Amino acid sequence: MNLAEGVQIVSFGILAALMIAAALGVVLFEKIVYSAFLLGGVFISISGLYILLNADFVAAAQILIYVGAVNVLILFAIMLVNKEEVFKPISGRWIRKAATALVCVGLFALLSTMVLATPWNLAAPITAPESTLILIGKHFFSDYLLPFELASVLLLMAMIGAIIIARRDFIPDIEAASSDQPLQTVWRLPERPRELTPTQGSSNQRK
Amino acid sequence: MDFSSNIATQLNAGAILPEGIVVVTILLVLICDLIVGKSSARWLPYVAIAGLLASVAALWLKWDATESLAFLQGFNGDDLSIAFRGIVALSATVTILMSVRYVEQSGTSLAEFIAILLAATLGGMFLSGANDLVMIFVALETLSISSYLLTGYTKRDPRSNEAALKYLLIGAASSAIFLYGVSLLYGLSGGQTNLDAIATALANGDGGESLGLAIALVFAIAGISFKISAVPFHQWTPDVYEGSPTPVVAFLSVGSKAAGFALAIRLLVTAFGAVSEEWHFIFTALAILSMILGNVVALAQTSMKRMLAYSSIGQAGFVMIGFIAGTDAGYSSMIFYLLIYLFMNLGAFTCVILFSLQTGTDQISDYSGLYQKDPLLTLALSICLLSLGGIPPFAGFFGKIYLFWSGWQAGLYGLVLLGLVTSVVSIYYYIRVVKMMVVKEPQEMSETVENYPEVRWSLPGMRPLQVGIVVSLVATTLAGILSNPLFTFANNSVINSPVLQSAKLTQPIAKAGISETSDRPIVQ
Repeated sequence: MNLAEGVQIVSFGILAALMIAAALGVVLFEKIVYSAFLLGGVFISISGLYILLNADFVAAAQILIYVGAVNVLILFAIMLVNKEEVFKPISGRWIRKAATALVCVGLFALLSTMVLATPWNLAAPITAPESTLILIGKHFFSDYLLPFELASVLLLMAMIGAIIIARRDFIPDIEAASSDQPLQTVWRLPERPRELTPTQGSSNQRK
Repeated sequence: MDFSSNIATQLNAGAILPEGIVVVTILLVLICDLIVGKSSARWLPYVAIAGLLASVAALWLKWDATESLAFLQGFNGDDLSIAFRGIVALSATVTILMSVRYVEQSGTSLAEFIAILLAATLGGMFLSGANDLVMIFVALETLSISSYLLTGYTKRDPRSNEAALKYLLIGAASSAIFLYGVSLLYGLSGGQTNLDAIATALANGDGGESLGLAIALVFAIAGISFKISAVPFHQWTPDVYEGSPTPVVAFLSVGSKAAGFALAIRLLVTAFGAVSEEWHFIFTALAILSMILGNVVALAQTSMKRMLAYSSIGQAGFVMIGFIAGTDAGYSSMIFYLLIYLFMNLGAFTCVILFSLQTGTDQISDYSGLYQKDPLLTLALSICLLSLGGIPPFAGFFGKIYLFWSGWQAGLYGLVLLGLVTSVVSIYYYIRVVKMMVVKEPQEMSETVENYPEVRWSLPGMRPLQVGIVVSLVATTLAGILSNPLFTFANNSVINSPVLQSAKLTQPIAKAGISETSDRPIVQ
């Protein structure tokens, strides 16, 4: 083992430990702000793993998008909706927690068995490309051209959808509605809601 | 320089002309709405319909194209994909017809609704032809994200919010699971994303029967089953169907489902050809559960939308019989049934929309005595429901016969018998509605129907609704009697698709290989 490999293994160990610790913190902390900040830690550790895999562009994109945009957005949302709410502890909550833990451990065991048992089709060691940017660009404009272009339509639609959900509703003009149809100011499904069952009724009253 | 010229000759970009037309239509709708303003709502739906019909025509021209692979094998425009893309585009067309009045009545803006619906259509069409894992995932997400947006489109209604949130959360989880399975496939094949390359790599390497492939298969099927709402993955369906705007429900139950089936055929037959025994087994279980649960729970529903939601789960179970059969007849019976299902289900939804626009309710008990007030609506809804149930002269009967016949030919006796029994159950709840509308004496009329206003077809947006009802009525009635062209179309689309034909050739070999080594456990 030469020096480079040693450094790689050590940094992998550090990054993995950091990531697992941060991820556990995201799940286990009671305060949601801590979870949000630790989520940023998870993203940064992941980008470190990408660098170890020679994927420098992906690592940069990971930090820019996930830490810079997604995580900051999550923090904004938390800060804006920072409503103190005390929830009543549900009786028998530990049963749910235990069941969740059981499912998670089982899934983890299954997936790790799979990783170890599967004969992975590993090709010869890949030499690092000169520049990953050029490689990615070539893929984007050759065999992944169509997904790349379709992603633009997807983003356009996501943007329009976000605007629709977030914007203020317009009040319909009187003259547009006056001619034949009754004035509509409902913004609801035309169907009436069902008669509410007692549980839903009580939750409505609490509001 | 030579990179670009090399690529340009291999793109064969003409294969996605129909999708290109849809993209242009989206942009046209958005820009016209931006420039002209609210008054454009009068003619924008017709622009969208014209675009979709032009796309269908372009699909027709691509029929039997000599070079079906495009974008360096990233997209496969073979006849199978053309059939499914046509189904998705047609379902969007009929959905727009029924949505004009509904969206206006709910006070939301029409242009964005149409644009998002077209984007969902685009995703569905690309999904039907995608031949590459990345392409599959991006197309699937285009379809899904547009569907989430449509589900929550009436944002002032808490039911719609609830439906959108549920659909988003469950959908995101299922996308993640699907992505995990697909990434395993990428790893097992040694870094291939193309479906054909994956199939060859799996056949050559020794990852063919490993635990990894089994998990990849299960995860991929989980993602697909969410799209077609097969039973263990159906929990979102009733709530989402109840809370979403009804035209969206109609599109989800036909267009989105058809795209899911196209994905199932292409992904499972090509990439998972090595484990075809296993996925046949899983899909048999899914089909049994869907048929039983969908049809039995539909019996107990009091809301029309919920009943149609559960019945669409049951119908997906019937379609899966053709998929499990795995023969030419099986696949073509799927396409044939989906084509017919398009018209009869969308017809039923159009009638439900008209009724709820007139009365503001969709309770089944409120339909009683409707015959006295609105004969056209009663006739159309009765015929669509009877056809969904599979009553003889209508199209649904022939579709079901074909499905069951192909299943019987393939030796799926138990499944076909179960299908027959559950379709008898389904006839009961469909007929209940018909009986409610037709048989009741005038004095038994429900209060809602007594106050039923006369239908004014001259109101803006009502004419497309009428056209939608009449078109689906005619199609449902005549497609059964004059079904030969449709049969030929479905058969040809299967026979001319190299994907399914090569799968059929390799399947006996694969089966022989499995039976030889069947005593060896799957886990190595």
